[in-house]
Amino acid sequence: MRFRISDLSFFESAIYNPQSAIKKMEFIKKYKLVIVVVLPILILVLIRSAGLNHFKNDAKKWAEPSIKQSNRITIEQAGSLKKKSLTINLDKDVVRIRELTGDVQNIPADSVLRKNHVSMILKHDGPVMLFSSDPGLSARIWMILSQMGCRNIYILTNSSDNEVFKYKFRPDTLSN
Amino acid sequence: MNTRIKFSVGLICLGFILALLPLSGSRTFIVKPQKLLSEILDDYTYFTVDQVARFIVSEDSSVQIIDLRSPEEFRVVNIPGSINVPYSRLLDNDPGSILNNGKTKNIFYSNGDIDSNYALAIARGLNFKNTYVMKGGLNEWFNTVMNSNFIGDRISARENALFETRTRAKKIFTEMNSLPDSMKLKFIRSKHIAAKKLDGGCE
Repeated sequence: MRFRISDLSFFESAIYNPQSAIKKMEFIKKYKLVIVVVLPILILVLIRSAGLNHFKNDAKKWAEPSIKQSNRITIEQAGSLKKKSLTINLDKDVVRIRELTGDVQNIPADSVLRKNHVSMILKHDGPVMLFSSDPGLSARIWMILSQMGCRNIYILTNSSDNEVFKYKFRPDTLSN
Repeated sequence: MNTRIKFSVGLICLGFILALLPLSGSRTFIVKPQKLLSEILDDYTYFTVDQVARFIVSEDSSVQIIDLRSPEEFRVVNIPGSINVPYSRLLDNDPGSILNNGKTKNIFYSNGDIDSNYALAIARGLNFKNTYVMKGGLNEWFNTVMNSNFIGDRISARENALFETRTRAKKIFTEMNSLPDSMKLKFIRSKHIAAKKLDGGCE
């Protein structure tokens, strides 16, 4: 097996090539200040941008689909999706939705942020639909996942009129 | 190397790092995801319509009810004493100006359950812990409070108290929403003046 100097660590190479080691030391001494200031910041930035333990997106931008209501999908609409969908049932009870053709995973809301679940959502190529018998719960989870940078997430609802006022108010004209 | 040059190089590097930071906007969720999840899964973030009815009847000043619907919908009908902050505009200005009001409980409501829960997740994510949701929204309010009636021969003390609160809340709601827009504010003020007089204060 051939052995090269470049394969050795800094201290080992210093024994074989003291001249280059001195040069390296001089370089480190020269840029000591820059290294001391910049390197820790760079490491922190890399950790922050790579980790899932922080929100790093602009809240308004990632809440935009909820304002436009483009993140809601009914079971009927979901049945006719062309791309392979992933449905996440957030309730503790197992549900079977006949109309859905794609993969259905039962992930209770309290464990939706487990690393394997988040990476499954992030890696899925196609729409991810959140389902719960309480649409409010789906809305809350949608907001968290969306703010974490998950795209293509929808709220799966039985009907599209959850936010429609269903009653008619009759004013009492005698009270005026 | 000259210290000035070193310092300049450091600053340039820092500038590059800041430019590459993934923070694209001015407002990011502060609370960590796992903590936010456990907060929003807690049942104490919900108020029932009966609890809200009680707040209205007792004119509880420690509660601020926030209507997230459009101004048009708000004008037609709203819960007495509520303020209108459409969900689409919640993040336009500083939400702290509305939500950061000491010990006051901010209760969101919309027609249903979706918009109010988005707002709750946003507010809690921005660390406004005094935020809650009226479960079921205005539809549930109508279903439970406005359409409340008693059928039967006997009524327990608890049921009676609940029914009475609903009836009083319904009366306030109907009176308030039957008034023309210009009169609504006067109605609220007059109620406050009447309450002060009863307390022995002066206006």
